[in-house]
Amino acid sequence: MSTTTSNPKDRTLLAVIGDEDSVTGLLLAGIGHIDQNQKKNFLIVDPKTQTSVIESAFQDFTERKDVAILLINQHVAERIRPTVDRYQAAFPALLEIPSKEHPYDPAKDSVLKRVQKLRGD
Amino acid sequence: MEALGFNMSAGFLEDFRLQLSSTDYGNFLANEPLPLSTATIADKATEKLVSEFHYIRTNAVEPLATFMDYITYAYMIDNVILLTLGTLHERDTHELLERCHPLGVFDTMPALCVATNVEELYHSVLVETPLAPYFRDCLSAQDLDDLNIEIIRNSLYKSYLEDFHRFCQTLPAPTSEIMTRILAFEADRRTLNITINSFGTELSKDQRARLFPTIGRLYPEGNNALARADDVDAVIAAVDHIAEYKTFFDKAGVSSGGAGTGAEEASSSLEDEFFKHDVELNKQSFLQQFQYSVFYSLIKLKEQEVRNLTWIAECIAQDAKDRVNDYIPVF
Amino acid sequence: MSGTGPREAVFPTRMNLTLTKTRLKGAQTGHSLLAKKRDALTTRFRTILKKVDEAKRLMGRVLQLASFSLAEVTYTAGDIGYQVQESVRKASYTVQAKQENVSGVVLPAFDGVRSKDASDFNLTGLSRGGQQIQKCRDTYVKAVGTLVELASLQTAFTILDEVIRATNRRVNAIEHVVIPKLDNTIKYINSELDEMDREEFFRLKKVQGKKKRDAEKNDETRQGQNEDFRAQGGEVHRDEGIGGGVAGGADMLDEGKDEDVIF
Repeated sequence: MSTTTSNPKDRTLLAVIGDEDSVTGLLLAGIGHIDQNQKKNFLIVDPKTQTSVIESAFQDFTERKDVAILLINQHVAERIRPTVDRYQAAFPALLEIPSKEHPYDPAKDSVLKRVQKLRGD
Repeated sequence: MEALGFNMSAGFLEDFRLQLSSTDYGNFLANEPLPLSTATIADKATEKLVSEFHYIRTNAVEPLATFMDYITYAYMIDNVILLTLGTLHERDTHELLERCHPLGVFDTMPALCVATNVEELYHSVLVETPLAPYFRDCLSAQDLDDLNIEIIRNSLYKSYLEDFHRFCQTLPAPTSEIMTRILAFEADRRTLNITINSFGTELSKDQRARLFPTIGRLYPEGNNALARADDVDAVIAAVDHIAEYKTFFDKAGVSSGGAGTGAEEASSSLEDEFFKHDVELNKQSFLQQFQYSVFYSLIKLKEQEVRNLTWIAECIAQDAKDRVNDYIPVF
Repeated sequence: MSGTGPREAVFPTRMNLTLTKTRLKGAQTGHSLLAKKRDALTTRFRTILKKVDEAKRLMGRVLQLASFSLAEVTYTAGDIGYQVQESVRKASYTVQAKQENVSGVVLPAFDGVRSKDASDFNLTGLSRGGQQIQKCRDTYVKAVGTLVELASLQTAFTILDEVIRATNRRVNAIEHVVIPKLDNTIKYINSELDEMDREEFFRLKKVQGKKKRDAEKNDETRQGQNEDFRAQGGEVHRDEGIGGGVAGGADMLDEGKDEDVIF
């Protein structure tokens, strides 16, 4: 399988793209990491953040070899929905998480959409 | 000051705004675009608090003016710490200015942003800010680099409290009395909190003892006992002779030998008890006339009110209505 | 019979027939094996599907709780967001991938690992709200645990989905393309071989008939020649081959004793 070519054992980090509160909470849990090149594994998105910034962060995190799981706020994912929906690879696993002000809507989740489709037939 | 006695059934933040418009807060949210976020509400409420403060401040004469300046120093400490943090991590400190507490903003603050390393920052703080004495007293430029930022913050705060206390002693009778009471409690609260929160961290007992303000009802024996304390039980023993504090621990249910989780839950409500007492003390200062502490209390109570508003907004936003009443009522 | 469907381009020889038959057998075994694998994977897939669905919904609640505890922190300790972001150095919560084997498919599973010296934020909120921060942190650690679990499920889901699709393709390909093709090839070879058999038989028959006719003709001529010879007074000998005849066949070794030989 093309998606499993890179060794999953090297992937140890969680990355997150989300609003300030979500990121703060997750960082409190200790997932934050800054590597030697001062590259962070998290991105804080506020309404002023450009969509292109989110896009490039998304690309960056999905291409990094040390990220095992990418967490993204659902309302942020909504802003780059086409890119998110196009993402099918197994690594890093993409998880859409709810944020404080945007309760979780299973209908929008790209993975759950597939689940529903598969369970439907 | 409003009693926040409005109907809690506000279903959404829009309703919340509607409810607030009939209070002292009036239309402070009127120009905000929908949907409202809790952060906006908090910001706007703080803004209102700050504008009220500045209104009083501009009309104040000495020594009230100095008194009110002292109030802002506490926020300044937070802001300077924030900037230090930014400088330490080589961030662009200009964007940090937005995050600073508006009460602690001083004219020369942007000048601090010019500093590119901690050494420069230290010197600009000495030159530009009213906090210079505190910095000089307890820190060197070297310390800013090495010490944990929280230790720095608390050392500064300790100096600040002591200084404020000294200043209050120079004011005439009712003010000094009441302010002593309030500041003593503030100092004790910090001492207790630092002690409890430092259990199980890398903070050594020596370091801890140095963070305790040298005022307050616990000073000096209580502080000494707390400096040696290893667990919550020892803390309770240390405050045993002060009836009020003892009741906090009793109410909070921090019983001796409480299990790990029990103690954790309890100390969060200990924090609540502190808040309650703080509010109580500040309310009392309104009962005395011809003194300045009302201004301090007004700000503190307003601040508490803003916190309450944020809390309620948060509860509504997160659909946790059962917790909505868990704030500390101001009046 | 032959040529009704696609078949392999082989020469219709007996060896190729054997080969093709073996291949057909292989294909059938492969088909049943793959079908079994597919069924196993699908069963697994269904359970995971259900779990993913549940976990996703659970996650919603867990994170709501977590963000509420963050609200509590904000209430007591103020805004700690920036401080937290800036104190980040090294991840204390990491994941470890382990692998699980389901019918030959390697499914990765993540395990959250929280390093022992996770004390990065111990001093945050020292004077105010420290306990809340610790509590909030624990809540978030738990929430992240749920997220990690969900991520493993989801990864398994994605990989299984892909593998099942590939397996399905293969099963279908074997069932609808490879096996009929091999079948056709066998039929083709068989029919060709039959045809060849018949031709050969016919040819042999023809050859035999021709030989018989030739032999008869030869016999006749020889008989005629013999008759002619006898009529001239000759004797017709039968050919008795080498060493044949009445005089032939004496043993050279028994011819006589050699004087020089002592024994």
